Amino acid sequence: MTFFKYNMKNLLTAFLLIICFSAQGQEAFGTIFGKAIDASGKPLPYASVLVEGLKLGVLTDDNGAYSISKIPTGKHRVVISFIGYGTRSKSFEVNESASKIKIDFTLQENVENLNEVTVNGKTKETALETEGFAVNAIKTKEASLRNIQTNELLNTTVGVKIRQNGGLGSDVSYSLNGLSGNSVRIFIDGIPISTYGNSFNLNSIPPSMIKQIEVYKGVVPGHLADDALGGAINIMLHNDAKTNFNASISYGSFNTLQASVNGLYRLEKSGFTIKASLFHNYSANDYKVSGRSVVVTGLGGVQTPITAKRFNDAYRSTGGMAQIGYTDVKWADQFFIGITGSDDYKEVQHGAFMTITPYKDRFLESDALLGSINYQKIDLFTKGLDVNINGLYGKRNRAVNDTVAWAYSWNGERAIDFRGDEYQYTWGSQQEGGPTLAKIKRNVASIRTGMSYAINDNHKVLLNHVYSGIDREDSDALRSVLENTFQGTRDLHKNIYSLTYELTAFDEKLKASLFGKHYQQKTTSVDPAVEQDANGNDVVANEVVSSNKNYDGYGFATSYAIIPNITLLASAEKAIRLPNETEIFGNDGDNVVANSSIDPESSNNYNLGFRLGSFNIKKHDFTISTNVFTRNIKDRIGLPIETSLNVDDELIVYVNQGSGTSKGIDAQLNYSYNSNFGLNFNISRFDLKIANQGIEIDVPNTPFFTMNGSLRYSFKDLLQKKSRLNLFYTMYFTDEFSFLTSQGSNTVGDEFFKVPQQLAQDFGLSYVFPNKKLVMSFDIKNIFDEPVYDNLSVQKPGRAFYLKLNYTINKF
Amino acid sequence: MKRTFLNFKTLTVYILTIGLMAACSSDEISENTDPAGPDPSEDSRWITIAAAKMGDAPGDGNGGTLIYSVSSDDAKDPTKSIEPFENGFIAPSNRTARLQSSEDGNTIFNISYAGDTGGNYTKYMVEGGQNFTPTGSSVSIAPYVGTAPRWIKLFDGDKTGAAVYVSTEHQFDENDVYTRTEATIGVLTLDLVNSAIKEFQEHSVALSAEEEANGYYISRIDMPVLNAAGDKLYIGARLSKVDPATTESDSDYEILGSKTIVLDYPSLLNPSVITSTVGHGNTNGYRSINAFLYEGSVYQANQSDPEGSHILRIDADNEYDNAYEFNLDDALGVEDAYILAWRPTGNGKAVIAYRHSGSAEGLAGAQGFFALADLNAKTAQKIDDIPYDPDFYLFQYQGFVVDGTEIYLTQGAVGQNGNIYVVDTETGNVTKGAELVNVTGSHFVGVF
Repeated sequence: MTFFKYNMKNLLTAFLLIICFSAQGQEAFGTIFGKAIDASGKPLPYASVLVEGLKLGVLTDDNGAYSISKIPTGKHRVVISFIGYGTRSKSFEVNESASKIKIDFTLQENVENLNEVTVNGKTKETALETEGFAVNAIKTKEASLRNIQTNELLNTTVGVKIRQNGGLGSDVSYSLNGLSGNSVRIFIDGIPISTYGNSFNLNSIPPSMIKQIEVYKGVVPGHLADDALGGAINIMLHNDAKTNFNASISYGSFNTLQASVNGLYRLEKSGFTIKASLFHNYSANDYKVSGRSVVVTGLGGVQTPITAKRFNDAYRSTGGMAQIGYTDVKWADQFFIGITGSDDYKEVQHGAFMTITPYKDRFLESDALLGSINYQKIDLFTKGLDVNINGLYGKRNRAVNDTVAWAYSWNGERAIDFRGDEYQYTWGSQQEGGPTLAKIKRNVASIRTGMSYAINDNHKVLLNHVYSGIDREDSDALRSVLENTFQGTRDLHKNIYSLTYELTAFDEKLKASLFGKHYQQKTTSVDPAVEQDANGNDVVANEVVSSNKNYDGYGFATSYAIIPNITLLASAEKAIRLPNETEIFGNDGDNVVANSSIDPESSNNYNLGFRLGSFNIKKHDFTISTNVFTRNIKDRIGLPIETSLNVDDELIVYVNQGSGTSKGIDAQLNYSYNSNFGLNFNISRFDLKIANQGIEIDVPNTPFFTMNGSLRYSFKDLLQKKSRLNLFYTMYFTDEFSFLTSQGSNTVGDEFFKVPQQLAQDFGLSYVFPNKKLVMSFDIKNIFDEPVYDNLSVQKPGRAFYLKLNYTINKF
Repeated sequence: MKRTFLNFKTLTVYILTIGLMAACSSDEISENTDPAGPDPSEDSRWITIAAAKMGDAPGDGNGGTLIYSVSSDDAKDPTKSIEPFENGFIAPSNRTARLQSSEDGNTIFNISYAGDTGGNYTKYMVEGGQNFTPTGSSVSIAPYVGTAPRWIKLFDGDKTGAAVYVSTEHQFDENDVYTRTEATIGVLTLDLVNSAIKEFQEHSVALSAEEEANGYYISRIDMPVLNAAGDKLYIGARLSKVDPATTESDSDYEILGSKTIVLDYPSLLNPSVITSTVGHGNTNGYRSINAFLYEGSVYQANQSDPEGSHILRIDADNEYDNAYEFNLDDALGVEDAYILAWRPTGNGKAVIAYRHSGSAEGLAGAQGFFALADLNAKTAQKIDDIPYDPDFYLFQYQGFVVDGTEIYLTQGAVGQNGNIYVVDTETGNVTKGAELVNVTGSHFVGVF
């Protein structure tokens, strides 16, 4: 481990040196401004004005005016172009005597045929993906018109693996480059998704509410700081300030209905803006399953395998968001106060595995009601000072309901015992552990504040803080007043600060970001206990234990464009995951007691990659990118093994036990032709090992090799003029993996534990009607009805059909 | 454009082919090498070695339970070498399988522990080496005793298995004052021959009013055993305690006399609880059979006894014989002796796997030892002819083979090679048998 420490230090030293070099030679700047008009003197709005070689550019405003600042001293050339008009350019020189230069243009209308214009700017996603982080930006625009869920979209992203325990609404776990569970943090606009509760998550929010998803692997930028050991997924909701409306409804197999409405209305004069989103999802999830545990049991316990329809798996979620405020006004780019509400219901068909005893009438409910505030302003008070605040406060509740003692069979009917009688489970509930009406109430709050100051075009400093807090209260109506009285409460308050320095140097060839993070976590457990007062009477008093911990982490990301189309990317971080409330305070139900001295998990994460592209050769356009990574985890938190010394006692504590590594490679290819054919392919492979007391093993139950591919072809004017028909094909490949650690070369019986190799293929089409307002999509998922599994023996839905209608108005 | 599409297809096929080849190659080389040799001759029997592979911590045994059989002649032969981790059959169980075998060693019985098939009963014909052929139909006891069942084979000629389950619920009066904790037990008998459920009964099992008022209750049960007459089933029990004022779990409380639940057999009706005044602590064992019939009485080990483990005796009258006092601390001259597993033979001698306060703290907990005990003389001596590494531990130990007056056992520290040892209980002679080849972090859990 010291090796890595030194490594990290050396990297930082090298990094600081680079900053020092590039900081030299910074001089004064100039500004050019002016106006673009056509031959008749009419102003030309939205013409593109670009200073060559500097990648500084703007569009002219409604009056044809433009202004470009921060042009370094020296000779430059400015180019203006506008579609349908010619291109003009002029040279100018910025020096101390001429730092404000007025340049006007008159453009001639181009009556000849337009030559194809090759626009070589970077899209926002490309810009993000060349910052130096191992990051993927996922656009939701296309998916939101199709029958695709947010989770499915994420699953096709390189290095990301989603494992879902069934159909729509069932439990999902996310893995980034092999690290999963608590190691991966998910945010909505920078706010931890847990704040929003179980009813507002990636299962329920439709892609149409989302603008873009960013996936940071291993190294997380300061503005998203959290204790994200393995990476972070940030869901960015729409933040446009243009009046628009869209609505969609989708219906398909397993009685699945998904509807969403999004709208924004802005008063042009005052900037007053009101926006709202609503969603509703329902699925019976009554898809067919079979397999070694899908049996009906008869007399004496004799088992008959059947193909069963899942019968207690329905999911419903409803929710929405409403915000009022101002956009693009003098004092704010965005200011909103709002309310988010959501509610869901999920039946539970089985536990972690599909066993021969399916559940009936066990369900989970959750709801959340939260108030929100957002403020965003670029150039607040002074140029270069940007401020961004996102806050959320409210309540969320979760309930588990399991009170039916009768046993059910996979055919959906009451099961019979070996005597032929219907029977009840000894434990009185569907899941072993007894009947429950458990309720967890949480008060949640989270606020993220970001402030950045661009000293000039080359140097920028960012300060970020995120607070998240949870006050938790448990109760169970099936338990007595006494038991509920002596149920402890657990509060958790987390503050994470980050300071980032961003550098752009050598004509934007070098970009770098250096950050430090400070983690502070305060946890308090309140356990009522009986004590004696001064008079010797028993009284209930609270035993309060709290722990306050501080840790630090740091890292950097850098990219260097060797030539404009070839970029090298490197990033590293000493990342931390703070112990959660169970790991600190234990869990009464599991006889786990507090260990307030537990250390956080930490990991030294490294990414090294390159990006080739995009290359445009005639009408071909392609990008190849790849990333090699290692994660070196220390102080993994876990429970010690059961021994004769602790088998009977109530004193099990979570401990830090050993290290782990994940090493692997991600690669991605994007190709498009004439912008109507597109191909994406990605491949991801890693080795995940953990070591305990010096002994290293391959972590079982890990899908270590995945590939995803997709094709898109677009026909114009096929059925109707001005219409567009898109065809889609997607394939998902997951290599075989075992639930069990690797065995000897000559053992038998291994196949029992294998999750077989899988290849699922989807086909879809969408038709954009000539008015561009209506889009109809049809999708077939899992065309060949392959049995697919993310987890051992838990079968996911087979072939399914969905039809969706979208209606969009962008102009009023 | 067309060409590009084809290229992509070719690329995909190519990559898939490589993937497939890589995935299949491990299967291709797993040819059935059978070093077990010929079937055992008439005076020989199968010895099945059970080995527990490391999951994510050394000695946790969660990485699969592997079994491999050899003839008893080979088992006794120190020149033979056995590699269960390399050549074994992996018992289908998500966590460590709890195995049982027929008395002649020709059949292995397994009930899968946890996971999607938890509770499934399977029977295998032992055919040497890694060859275990499943026979009979499948049956699951999960609906009655859960997917992680505690079960054991009864000594009735390999006819019956018994599995148990307990669920508890705190009870309160109308003023919400704690009254007692209800323990509901489920007891199931399984026809091992015909793979069918024989009988299942549920009962509420009470302790004395005073014990219940103090918050004691039966929290775990295990290790059923038949009495000599075959008309009663004894089930070992662990007691836990809550603080009646708060209903929170207590620790550091007074340990009550060891208890056993007695039921009519085969009806599984009329439960009662008997209590020893000799031993204190639990009688539910862990993974190895904890109570045996010998000369008309049932001898039962107890665990977590503050005075050190005892062997307790339940006589033909189905009551503890409090005149029978066999304390392992006294017999061995150690402190805090804890019986991890044990096995008597027909001559009243027994091999005991134990740890004590002088055990080293190894990779996976307290160091284990074997002792040779005499149930009649109430004496025991540590067996010194077996090597005891600090990393040798016996907590998960499951199986001994009794062949006449000889007892077969496995020895091997976590991650180190070991041997089969054969103890002649009559003479005390210890024979070193075949070598057991280990792998990192793993250990051997006995013979069947």
